Formats: sequence, structure tokens, C-alpha cells
Amino acid sequence: MHKGADIVLQCLRAEGVELVFGYPGGAIMPLYDALEGSGVRHILTRHEQGAVFAAEGYARVTGEVGVAMATSGPGATNLVTGIADAKMDSVPLVCITGQVRSALIGTDAFQETDVFGVTLSLTKWSRLVRTLDEIPEAIAEGFHWARSGRPGPVVIDIPTDMLKAKKEFSGPVKFTPHARPADAKADGGFTDTTFTTKIAALLQQASKPVALVGAGAKLSGAIPELRRLLDDLNVPTFATVHGLGAVPPQAPYYLGMVGMHGTRAANTALHETDLLFVFGARLDDRVTGDPTRFAPHAKIVHFEIDPAQLDRVRPCEISVVGNLADTIPAFQTELRQHSLPDFSGWRAVACGAERAELDPRGLAQPTIRFLDELFSRLPQDSVVIADVGQHQMWAAQRYRSSSPRGFITSGGLGAMGFALPAAVGVQLAKPDTCVLCVSGDGGFQMNIQELATVRRLGLPVKMVIIDNKYLGMVRQWQQLFYQRNYAETDLSDNPDFVEIAKAYKIHSFRLNEDAMREFPVSNETGDEIDRFLRSPEPELLVFDCAPEANVFPMVPAGAALSEMLLEEEPTQ
Amino acid sequence: MQSFYIRYRNTQGTLMRILNAASRRALDLPVVQAEPAEHDHQVTLALDVNQKQVGQLYREWYAIADVIQVSSDQVSSGAAHTAEWTAAHPPAGVTMEESRAAARA
Repeated sequence: MHKGADIVLQCLRAEGVELVFGYPGGAIMPLYDALEGSGVRHILTRHEQGAVFAAEGYARVTGEVGVAMATSGPGATNLVTGIADAKMDSVPLVCITGQVRSALIGTDAFQETDVFGVTLSLTKWSRLVRTLDEIPEAIAEGFHWARSGRPGPVVIDIPTDMLKAKKEFSGPVKFTPHARPADAKADGGFTDTTFTTKIAALLQQASKPVALVGAGAKLSGAIPELRRLLDDLNVPTFATVHGLGAVPPQAPYYLGMVGMHGTRAANTALHETDLLFVFGARLDDRVTGDPTRFAPHAKIVHFEIDPAQLDRVRPCEISVVGNLADTIPAFQTELRQHSLPDFSGWRAVACGAERAELDPRGLAQPTIRFLDELFSRLPQDSVVIADVGQHQMWAAQRYRSSSPRGFITSGGLGAMGFALPAAVGVQLAKPDTCVLCVSGDGGFQMNIQELATVRRLGLPVKMVIIDNKYLGMVRQWQQLFYQRNYAETDLSDNPDFVEIAKAYKIHSFRLNEDAMREFPVSNETGDEIDRFLRSPEPELLVFDCAPEANVFPMVPAGAALSEMLLEEEPTQ
Repeated sequence: MQSFYIRYRNTQGTLMRILNAASRRALDLPVVQAEPAEHDHQVTLALDVNQKQVGQLYREWYAIADVIQVSSDQVSSGAAHTAEWTAAHPPAGVTMEESRAAARA
């Protein structure tokens, strides 16, 4: 006879789970009681949001399913932001929540929340377990949906009496999804190879083709295939924030990040193009600017696994539904049978020096110099995790990684407080890798309690706070669009982060902008940064940033990509 | 007003996910009729939607794990007819030319 909790853990092991992140509480205690000897290692965070972001970090850097667990009521509701984040960024995540006893469900019992209902619109799939017999099937099906197609979050809610009850258990089960008529047709989208000849014909007619790479390219595992195709196409190419790292930054046709804080070259090329290839991106408003004026001259060819992402901005000329690992090689095979028009003139304009990636005045900003200095000293294959705000965009603009999973951030939901706990998950997944967590002073305080997790585990995470004593991105918008009315964004009474870190027994120090005014930086500063990055212990570096430093280029909300601001303009 | 017929396996939450695709767009749900249909279930919805929303709803419903098939009574072209999503590419709200022309305007 096995307890429900033992069955849950055995099923998790069968799915390949070695690590779960969580926080115990009443309804999930039986599962915690069964952890020892189960083969599943539990990482105690100091808040359930920390647990779910850590699970996300683990999933994002490995491509495996991240697992978070929490108790009923507040434990479960504290997972919600992470679940929404996983939905937006296509992160495979399974959350296991304890629920009150079956007999108490619906009675507003202590710590009872309808987590199934609360998360219904945020999950790919969810299940409130009603009988002990359902557990193996629920876990197998949950993992299937979390990792299949466009990955996403799953919630499995288990009443505490199910975790305690005993039954005969013959072992984990496999889940086989039901076939449905449209699946065959969707899968058949790429086997109908006429799409390849149609695209080749569009290329023959095009004069300014470009390629946009999104997260789907990484999720499909088709990076080598994509890079080969892009080399063949040799057209100006750019990436969304989640596509960074998919294209080697040194590729001569690569223009960097596109969108609200994308490079001038990328945004300009996207506005001018007459043929846009999209590889695994949903084209959200941060990428398109005003959707009604997005790529106004372009025909769109969209490679995408999730039909729900097609035609969101406007209809595509050709949509190729399927795994990029299958569709890209099919297209490339066809492409190699054609001689492409000469796009060198267009490439020279789009990639030329006149469209330099950043306004030269921006490069003089001490914070950008600091990030350049930091990133240039990172060991190969480091992972940078950025929180949300100005520092996130600076990091996205300046970090040039060739590693598809080398830059991690909450891009779709934009959840402040993401980076520190996510770095915990990343470091646990990659114990020998340099993991650099870049936060702002606002976001760092949203999950600052995870310093205790870092310390307890002795994780050598390198934490940087870009401290401008403001909620910087909001302040920037207030400056530019709200007549400098800095309503409730002043954080000048921030605590001393260096002292806080010391209280957690984490070595910490401060650098200010003066250290970046010399170029190159002094040996002393360089050595200090090197020591920081190579320390075998957790470290915190607080960089004092000018309070009113801004991120440029910037496409104002509602403007077209061609209307990006390259520097501050008078307040309207 | 347009009628939609969504065939689904009656698993936990599937009907709610179907309805949520409409409610998250602040669409009223004046008619909802769910019933068994052969081995599965079918829900009939009447919604006041524009053509762009039709495409979005088709795609979102189809992304739900246990939705089997989506069809609707199309009235936009003048004559009502039943349109079933039979291709990988779901129906679009506006034509490509209309969309590009609007972007250039």
C-alpha cells in the first residue's frame, strides 16, 4: 500500500523530476512528510513566489519542466504571478498545490481557495484531483501538456486527504493524448511542401527581406537549423528579447534586438521591409509598436508551432504551422534549389554604420559602460538573468550572448522580482556556470527574502543592483509622457543594500558612476569586477546609477517603430 | 450575432476555458447551451463579435487541450453558412491587402 503523497513523488520521478521548489503549509504537509528518501530534492525558498520563479529559472535554462509546490489558500495564490509569467513566456511548469480536505471543499474552510478556478485562464491545463486513482494519470497528463506544443504552466491541486490515503499502486502511467481532426491538418501544414515553393517565390519578388527571431526558435531546439537557414538567407535579422542568443551576435546580418527598446537599425529595417520572416514569435505590442502601422509594406511569412499566435497583428501571407525543427529544414531544402536575388544593396543599407545600434551619446552613459565592462569580463557560456525595468532593457541591449539560453528575463508578463529567485533555479541547474542576476532597486526588494535561499544553499550567484533610487522605467515614462510628475516612483529612502546583504552573510560592495568615467576603467575597478565574477561565493554588487538615466532608443507606446526616440525630447 | 459550435471532451474546466475565451474579451454570453453530443460534448454560443475576434476565438478555443472541433454560422458574407476550421490556418478577420493598406494609411 502506498500513500497518495508517495504516489505523487514516484510519478514525479518517472517524469524525470529531481528538483522541486516550494514552501510547506498545512494542506501539503503529507507531501513534505514523504520527501525524504523519495529521490526528489526539495529547495525551500522563502516565499511561494520565489519558488515558482526559481522553478521557472530552472525550466528556462534547461528546457525541462520546472516544478513548484505550495499549500492551499495563500500558498497557492502566491504562485499565481509565476504561473501567468510561465504562460506568457511559454515556460514548461507544473505547480502542485495542496488543497483542503475533500469534504471541506466549497465550505470556505481555513486556507481554502479555488486555485483551480483562479488559475483557469492562466494555465494550459489543470486538474483538481478527486480520487486517489486519478493521481498518476493527472501527473502524466499534466507533464504532457506542460512540455508539449507551445510549453506552458499546469496546476495539479490535490486535497490533503488524497495525499494521506493509501492504495495499491502499480506504478506511474503514460499519457497518450486523444487525436483530434485538426491536429492532423495542423501537423500537415509543413508536410504540404507547397509552402516552401510559395515562400521561395515571395523571396524572388522581394527587395527588402528581413528575419525576426523569437523564443519559439529556442524552444523548438532548432537553433542549428535556424542558424544555417539564416546564413543561407543572409538578410537583415533581429530578435525579440526572448530570441536573444538564437543568432550569433557577430553574424554580419544581425541587427540586435527589435521593438520598444530595440536598436535603431532593427526597428528601421522592420519598418521598411517588404518581406518579413517570423520564426517563433507572437509579435506582441512591445515588438510591433502600433500594430496598425507595423511593417506597413511587408508580406509576412510566419513559422509558428501554436496556431493561436498567427494573425494576431494582421494576417500573414503564409503561415507555416509546426515545430521549427521540422519546418525550417523543409524550407531550407527548397531554398537551396533556387538562386536568391542579390540583396547585398539592401543589406548594406540596413546593416550600415549610419544606423549604428545605439546613439553614441547613449554609449557614454556610465551605467551602460558598467554593464559593458561587466559583460565583457563574464566567462564564456555565462547566464544573465535580468529583472524588469530599465536595467533589463540596458542588459538586453548590451549583453551579446551566442548561447540560446544565455539571457533570461520575464519578457511577456514583465514581473518585477523575477530575477533573484530565477537565478536560484538557474544556478541549481548549472552549478558550474557563472550566473549573473541583474536587478533594479525596486525589483530586488520584491523578492529580497531569497537572499536567504542563496545563502543557505551557498549558491555562487552574482547579484547586481542598478540602484537609481527610482522605479526607473516608470519614472522615465513620467518624465517623457507625464510632464515629469514623478508620482510614487521615488525610492530615495531605499535601505542600504550592502548592509542588508551583510545581514544575510553575503559579501557585498558598492561601485558608483565615478568608477566608470575613466575609459578604459582603472585596473583597480577592473580587478574588483573580475574578483566579483569569479568568487566561489554569492556576492552582491550595488551600482549607483544616475537617478534620471534613461533607456534609448525608445518607441513610445502607441507609436510606430519608425517613430522611436533616440534621445530625450522636450516634455509635451 | 454569430453562433459558434465547439465540440469538446467534457473534462474538468474545459467548458470554463471555452467560455473564458469570450469573457476575457468582455463579450456578453446571451446564449450558452452545453449538451452531450455522441461520445463528446458540444457547447453552442451566440456572440456579438467582429471578424477579427472570430479569428482570435477560433485559435484560442483550438488551443484548449480538450477542444475537438470548432465551427460557426458565418453571417458576415451576407449568406449564412457553416464554416468549419478544416485547415491549419484558421480564418482571418481581414484580408492581407486590407491590413497592409491600413498600415500604410
